[in-house]
Amino acid sequence: MTQQQSSALSVEGLTKDYPGVRAVDNVSFTIKQGAIHCLVGENGAGKSTLVKMLTGVLQPTSGSITVAGRRHCPRNPQEARDGGIATLFQELHVVDELTVKENLTLGMEASRFGFLVNSKTDEVAIETLATIEPSIDPEARVASLSVAQKQILEISRAASSGASVIIMDEPTAALSEREVERLFAVIRRLRDANVTVVYISHKLDEIFELGDDVTVFRDGKHIVTKPLDEVDGRQQLIELMIGRTVFQQYEPRDIADAEPILQVEHLKTSLLKDVSFHVNKGEVVGFYGLVGAGKTEIARAIYGADKFSGSVRFNGKEIGPTPHDAIAAGIALVPEERRTQGLFTNLTIRENVPVMNLEKISTTGMLSPSRERQAAEHFVAQLGIATSSIEKHTEKLSGGNQQKVVLAKCLFAEADLLLLDEPTRGVDVGAKTEIYDVIKALANEGKSICVFSTELEEILGICDRIILLYEGMLEEELLNGEDVDIAHILNVVTGGAEHKGQ
Amino acid sequence: MSVQLKAKMAKGLKMSDEAFITLLVVSAAVFIFLFASLLVPNFFQFQNVVNLVTNNWAVISLGVGVTFLLVSGNFDLSVGGIVALSGVLAVWFAQAPGGANALASGFGMPTWMAMLFALFGALAIGGLNALFVVRFKIPSIIVTLGTMLVARGIAQVITHGSQRNTNLPDNFGFLGNIYLFGTSIKLPVVLMLVLVCVAVVIEKRTIFGRLTFWIGANPVAARLSGIKNARHQTHLYLFSAAIAGMVGILLASEFKSGFSSRGMLMEFDALVIALLGGVAIAGGFGSVVGMFFGALILATVTSAATGLVLSPDWQYILKAIAVFLAIVAQTWALTLKNR
Repeated sequence: MTQQQSSALSVEGLTKDYPGVRAVDNVSFTIKQGAIHCLVGENGAGKSTLVKMLTGVLQPTSGSITVAGRRHCPRNPQEARDGGIATLFQELHVVDELTVKENLTLGMEASRFGFLVNSKTDEVAIETLATIEPSIDPEARVASLSVAQKQILEISRAASSGASVIIMDEPTAALSEREVERLFAVIRRLRDANVTVVYISHKLDEIFELGDDVTVFRDGKHIVTKPLDEVDGRQQLIELMIGRTVFQQYEPRDIADAEPILQVEHLKTSLLKDVSFHVNKGEVVGFYGLVGAGKTEIARAIYGADKFSGSVRFNGKEIGPTPHDAIAAGIALVPEERRTQGLFTNLTIRENVPVMNLEKISTTGMLSPSRERQAAEHFVAQLGIATSSIEKHTEKLSGGNQQKVVLAKCLFAEADLLLLDEPTRGVDVGAKTEIYDVIKALANEGKSICVFSTELEEILGICDRIILLYEGMLEEELLNGEDVDIAHILNVVTGGAEHKGQ
Repeated sequence: MSVQLKAKMAKGLKMSDEAFITLLVVSAAVFIFLFASLLVPNFFQFQNVVNLVTNNWAVISLGVGVTFLLVSGNFDLSVGGIVALSGVLAVWFAQAPGGANALASGFGMPTWMAMLFALFGALAIGGLNALFVVRFKIPSIIVTLGTMLVARGIAQVITHGSQRNTNLPDNFGFLGNIYLFGTSIKLPVVLMLVLVCVAVVIEKRTIFGRLTFWIGANPVAARLSGIKNARHQTHLYLFSAAIAGMVGILLASEFKSGFSSRGMLMEFDALVIALLGGVAIAGGFGSVVGMFFGALILATVTSAATGLVLSPDWQYILKAIAVFLAIVAQTWALTLKNR
């Protein structure tokens, strides 16, 4: 217990500026040696920017980091590892084709004259794995392991590299309940071995179960660091996370007598567990939940992009099984990842806009260049896309303007139902407001809109009705309005539905 | 050249990447021709330019299909094999039955029917390409490498590894030997030029052309935008195979023979001229016009080299150097422009 008094990692006045945004604002706190230290905060609170600075992915604008008494200013992830900080990201970084042993020593193989040789590192790594999880055979192929086992493999790799601090970013996102228990046991064993674990999760129950200390972030600022024993339950932690943030004002709309346009019943996929809901004409419905709660899966199922079981009826009719059928029926999707799923980045704005409605720019298969140009010019003006010309390649636009081009594609499709998956992710504040205005205007024209978002502010600002998701289940449906209970919403989406009594 | 271009752009006359690359390829073709004219006696003649085009009608025709497929993000290495197969099939179907030996007897179909059925044979290979690439999601470079061997293999079996050229109806040699307006220009050359013009219109002015670019630029976004990727790629493979089939039939008609080694390595030449013409190997970028001038560059280099006492044995090395230079120059030019 004496060791717990010394500091494993401390940051002092750490600040990170992006153009127009201060992502991390003058943050100072200390993490104790051999403790499990949790970082919590809403999306955009600055947790991941902080982690990126600790791991050398980003360089701070100002401020300093100290690891085990030494100044830590890594210029890349390798230097961070050499400085004693290892990271476990949400996505796994293991090679399925290799054996467990080979994976353990990946990137630190010993060699002589270009040939691999067995070395001390190998033995240490295998021993570490054996202490953490003896059931994993070092000769097994990684492809045969479960997700949890792969994660344990990554942890062993981190631990055997001699790291004194291991950062884990949402490690349980892809794990089943039993696997989570085993992972927790491993983390506790690491603590017993005097390794410091920085644990980031949105699932507050995990934090209370596992953590020694907690640091709360809000809007890029450090709010508090204290032992979890001194935190009085989930409610208090949630209050610390949301503070007194002023949310964008929702203006109630009169849509009481609208008829349903979309009816989803017993929707099931590998993640979704029997989700049923409906969307009315002219209504904005928000789907809110953590990463992995099933928002994107719902959007993609309705759109025909993924297979599902259950029934999706639009205007009373079943939709065909492909995005082509969905568009023909009058549904358009703004996908989650605009660069990989929405945009043709090496094509121009003019060439991007018309793709979802080819009839409008052609006659019997022949392109009409003038109609195509008009369409692009119309949306550049309507959405305020900042560009010198419609001939600009979309890869050269800013995030916000790229998102507007994706939105323009969907608007050009003249859909009656728009599915917007993270419509403002990575978009600057100005463009955000403009996109919200477009959504509101569309709803007033009688279009129906589903917003799938991890940003509560966005959901509360524009949605008439809110659907709360947790781990593939529809937990609750509520109408937006002045009396909406933010703490209650956060409680539900962090898995607190069973804790209502608290 | 590039200084001029930069000045142009500075004036605000924005040029698209595609126009830029095409201009670069055209300039390179002209420059190389002039340079070769300095070195090789009698090279600088109009007739020589005509020859560069007419001697390469087959490869340029194949290049059209290959270019569209490359732009859509797919390879087609089967075209050379299809040239051999369709030619051999056309001859075999047209040969009269009961010849003196196995290689002299066929099905005795009328010429038109033999050629039509040979074209179906070519389309079957295209269909096979589409089936494996689109349906079973096997990388196109592997699939078409396989079908290349399948097509040529069938041709070899039918010709017993050599050729069929006897017992053919007289009109079989008609199509491939029509000369136009008393010049040395044959019908296949004209057909190639028509094909290139039609392809340019399709590429620039039709939904079909645009679909090719969308799919090549981002297949995931294309599908989520309601494009039927599978159907379009199937069409592209069938068109490429149809072109290759016609080339094979025209060559068979020209020589009045079906030869199992015909079109050998033509699939690589077609790929090379597309790359020389600025078509991106990753898809989403390129043009038929670029490919056409890429073919002229390759033709100039090889024919100039032959003129320069270099033995024809050097042509592979020359092609290799040309390809490396072209790709380096293209990447370098685009980075410079977009800096």
